[in-house]
Amino acid sequence: MSMDELKTDITRQTENSPRELLTRTFFFLCAALSIVTTISIVVLLVTEAAKFFTLTAPLMGVTGQTASIVDFLTGTTWEINSGEFGVLTLVSATVMITLGSAVIALPLGVATAIYLSEYASTRARSVLKPALEILAGVPTVVYGFFALIYITPALSVIFPSIGTFNMLSASIVVGIMIIPMVASISEDAMSAVPDDLRQAGYGMGATKFDVATGVVVPAALSGIFSSFILALSRAIGETMAVTIAAGSRAQFLNPLNPASFLEGSLPMTAAMVQLLLGDITGGGLAYRSLFAIGLVLFVITLIMNVISDFVAQRYREEY
Amino acid sequence: MTRDLERNRSFSRRELLSAVGGLGLAGLAGCTQENPNLGSTAEPPSDGPGSGGGSGTLSGDISIAGSSTVFPIASAMSERFEESYPDIDVSIQSTGSGGGFANYFCTGQTDFNNASRPIQPEEEEQCAGNDVEWIELKVATDALTVIVSTDNEFIDEGLTVEQLREIWSADADVETWADVEDSWPDEPIELYGPSDASGTYDYFIEAVIGEEGSHRQDYSPTEQDRTILQGVAGSEYALGYLGFAYYSQNSDSVRAVPIKDGDGDYVEPSLETALEGEYTPLSRPLFTYPKVSALQEGHIEAFARFWLDNSTSQEIIAEEVGYVPLSEAEREQMLGRIYAAAEGLN
Amino acid sequence: MATNTETGEIEDFGQVSRTVGTVFRYLLLAATMFGIVMLAILLLYVANDAIRPLTADLGWHLTFFVGLVLPTLLVGWTVYRRDRAALSFGALLVGTLVVSLMFSGGVALLAIDVIPPLVAFAYAVGLVVPTAATVGLTRYAHRISFTTRLIATTMVFYLALFGLPGPIGDPVGAPSLVPSLVEFVLTRPVIPVDRVMVATVIGGISAAAVGSYVAGVRDWTIGLYAAIAAFLASTAAGYVGPFVGLNPVPAVVVTAVAFVPTVAYAWRGAFTEGGSPLGLAFAATVVGGALVGAVAVDALGFAGPQSWVDWQFLTSSHSGTAENAGLYPAIGGSILLMSTVAALSFPLGVGAAVYLEEYAPDNALTRFVDVNISNLAGVPSVVYGLLGLGVFVTYLGRSAGTVLVGGATLALLILPIVIISSREAIRSVPTDLRQASYGMGATRWQTVKNVVLPESFPGILTGTILALGRAIGETAPLIMIGAPNVVFDLPATLGSKVSAMPLQVYAWSSLFASEDFYTKAVPAGVVVLLAVLLAMNSIAIVLRNKFERAG
Repeated sequence: MSMDELKTDITRQTENSPRELLTRTFFFLCAALSIVTTISIVVLLVTEAAKFFTLTAPLMGVTGQTASIVDFLTGTTWEINSGEFGVLTLVSATVMITLGSAVIALPLGVATAIYLSEYASTRARSVLKPALEILAGVPTVVYGFFALIYITPALSVIFPSIGTFNMLSASIVVGIMIIPMVASISEDAMSAVPDDLRQAGYGMGATKFDVATGVVVPAALSGIFSSFILALSRAIGETMAVTIAAGSRAQFLNPLNPASFLEGSLPMTAAMVQLLLGDITGGGLAYRSLFAIGLVLFVITLIMNVISDFVAQRYREEY
Repeated sequence: MTRDLERNRSFSRRELLSAVGGLGLAGLAGCTQENPNLGSTAEPPSDGPGSGGGSGTLSGDISIAGSSTVFPIASAMSERFEESYPDIDVSIQSTGSGGGFANYFCTGQTDFNNASRPIQPEEEEQCAGNDVEWIELKVATDALTVIVSTDNEFIDEGLTVEQLREIWSADADVETWADVEDSWPDEPIELYGPSDASGTYDYFIEAVIGEEGSHRQDYSPTEQDRTILQGVAGSEYALGYLGFAYYSQNSDSVRAVPIKDGDGDYVEPSLETALEGEYTPLSRPLFTYPKVSALQEGHIEAFARFWLDNSTSQEIIAEEVGYVPLSEAEREQMLGRIYAAAEGLN
Repeated sequence: MATNTETGEIEDFGQVSRTVGTVFRYLLLAATMFGIVMLAILLLYVANDAIRPLTADLGWHLTFFVGLVLPTLLVGWTVYRRDRAALSFGALLVGTLVVSLMFSGGVALLAIDVIPPLVAFAYAVGLVVPTAATVGLTRYAHRISFTTRLIATTMVFYLALFGLPGPIGDPVGAPSLVPSLVEFVLTRPVIPVDRVMVATVIGGISAAAVGSYVAGVRDWTIGLYAAIAAFLASTAAGYVGPFVGLNPVPAVVVTAVAFVPTVAYAWRGAFTEGGSPLGLAFAATVVGGALVGAVAVDALGFAGPQSWVDWQFLTSSHSGTAENAGLYPAIGGSILLMSTVAALSFPLGVGAAVYLEEYAPDNALTRFVDVNISNLAGVPSVVYGLLGLGVFVTYLGRSAGTVLVGGATLALLILPIVIISSREAIRSVPTDLRQASYGMGATRWQTVKNVVLPESFPGILTGTILALGRAIGETAPLIMIGAPNVVFDLPATLGSKVSAMPLQVYAWSSLFASEDFYTKAVPAGVVVLLAVLLAMNSIAIVLRNKFERAG
């Protein structure tokens, strides 16, 4: 980069003065902290989770109860008291929350993005964007409370068999919560589509509708897709709303069966909170399972973030 | 009033900082005051309301962790304790009995651990390993009451634990009263109970259904014990369970069902039977475990005493929290333990 | 496609169906509004449950309608027709007053219950004196080399704060030879009264801020006068307060933190060039109307709503009965946590952003840090909680649930967000400015300090406030690090256990199954939490709007 060369060139003489060194080192340490954080997270989760599995526990010098890694990854029963740790139970609940919130957030988010980028006047944008930001800024514990106290009773009018704790209301609030994320990243992608393309579309006699759906959305597809993944990864990691609204009874539900949304279950994040607040013994098997779930959660969200990054980079149309 | 309290609190906190010590000179103009950090006999500064009386001579932190079942008692006691001793900071954390022992109490971080069951051998080992000595204090009894409507004539003797398990377990296919006992009417049972968010629900599973089984889900769950009362009171064929305190205050509208455990007799729930331990398995003692070394600090001993002094209070334990209070004799015994621990007698 | 664009025939041009386009447009608008409207409905519900406006007398509503709503609408409409900018200025002014009053409440809480005035005063003296020495040194002693100056400055600060030999001597048990400046002030037998000390510290900060604001608008002389006036006003408030029923310390705090800045803003908006005094009329109508309404309902004896959010709720601690439960320790806990988080995450986040934007060479390591930060931003908050539990509590052996551990965990959580938004702000500083600075012979640090940071500061601040808004609502990490569900006092030190607003609300909604907590304490807590959050968000949005317009 020429700017960098220029800088180096101009500042070469002073670059190694004590003051420059001091400030430079400080700034570098700040940036390096993020790597330290990541390494700590990975090391912590891996070592603690390793103590949980039969396969790896001897390596960590842990004796006593352990759990089979196969049972953990394939079991469909989560009963701590009877020593059954089937994480699929929790994953099924998390998948339901993710699917449910996706049904709400993805179409609404993209529609919002199209509106903001193609239709809204500057004034409308200046009002709508902060309003959407507030949507994302409301604490999740408040959303959980909303779901439990207002949304579930309202839903029980439509579905009389709905439980006090259910996946539906939790999905709805998580969906509302992630709309702004889909909207803002998609809108950035749409705004990045050059005006020439739009003009070309109009020049061909296309209407605004045609341009929006036929030109802008396809051109911004990679950005839209990466916004989906990021938002869903946020939904997976969402904790308090589902802890409060989805219940605390772990049961394996079929995520594709709409009826199971009326029941409650225990998503991964809620299971972690429950484990920590519940009657578990520190250092015991249940306590270590906390880190095993944490690891699964971390890996899933990490993969999604990496995919989103990759999609955004790889398929970005260069204008 | 609150504001006065706050002022007091801030002044005494400043005194807390008075490790400096020294002599105080009289403040002169309206713009200066004596340094309240120096000389504890100084009058309160001129621009605040008088520091008032109060017994706030003790100060320090008390940290409590443990069972969510005991949490409401601990929080009710601390609330009242704070009124008399505003300088003592109490923090209470609901971690579950086991989590509290293993992560906080036996590592020496907390002063009290609440538990809804006695301490386990592994936990004793861990505590001993870290030189944490403790004493066991019983603070209340948790009791469940199974209720039916006062119109219900057919349950005269009571229910057995097995029958309860049959009715409430998820695997059982009991739909009508006749399914439980042939002589009872062939009418569907209407079931009311707490929702799965409630500690009562967990306790019922533990005590009646067993940890392998699961609670049936086709009943009317509710967060509010009052709804259970109303539901049961309104129908001859209804059955429900709830905390003892709600029953004891509404004993005109519903009837408590005597429970028979194994080969024993049918025992009706009451303060006496719960306290005597006859009403099994639906009653259990609740504990708190103070650390002995903590009890030797004045403010923590004062708190433990305060707690136990009030553990017979009908108003706090039964009405506000919903458990069965201790008997006088039990209280004396527990106070004795505190005394012994605080004086280092054992 | 419903339109006929493919035929290309000219006569079809006029027949292009607009129905689809119009329907689509309104569908999009509806989709955009869905979330906002849903949230608005939920907010109305919770506000209704918490504040219960319907429990007020009809007369109360009527009085406020006549005294406040009607005049506001009338004046608002008139102002709007004359001068739109004036209306937005007036609305902002009212907003400033409300937000700064909330903020002053927080500061008052700190001044009354957490940091004793004497300690604040002592540390203020202990910081101002060496800072002044440093500034003097930098300004008048160019000849001295940087290294020498650094050592001298460090020593001056060390002396002022710790004395000799201070913490260095602690391990060997060296006796204190020279008390620190802080210590010296703390042990004076005669000290100023509380109101004077508070006025000096808080009024001083407020006066400095107002002074530089005014100086930025006009010139340094006027700025100095403004600062003096502001300081005198704060000090005077301590003596006037008792006459209007306020204790001296809160009176000083409210004046310094709320009234003085609001007056400065009002002056700027109304009486400077391009100002609009009409806006002042609007603001006066709103504030006056509220006051008149309040006095009138009191005089006429109309009962207000039996709101669960009241003075008692804000100033008392948790109770076993929902009616008596309050949020005070949780509010204070949140404030202290946020101060810790801000103190940790702001310098670290900005530092990292500066490194990545201004210093980092374009190599693999930099790219890795870059990807790493965006991934960290996506790590769920419970995982950060586990990190806090595992690293701070288990590994480093800090006691669980303290201000320091909670603050550090939350700071790590928002650090990626602060870095990302700070980078954006730094990137938006035009390259020309940097080049100009280098062209003048400035070093990299001088360029960063004199050009990049000042230019990007509003953007960085906006990002940080939004990130703090995220941190203040976080509950899961606090649960993970073992923050207590109930405390009865504000934390006295960084090592004390702390609760926070969302945690207290969660405890009420989960640990107390009684209906009362659901219907009273929880909605009230939610309303307070949301009020704080909305205030923070609106500060950030206003800042950003100003910044964008200027940039």
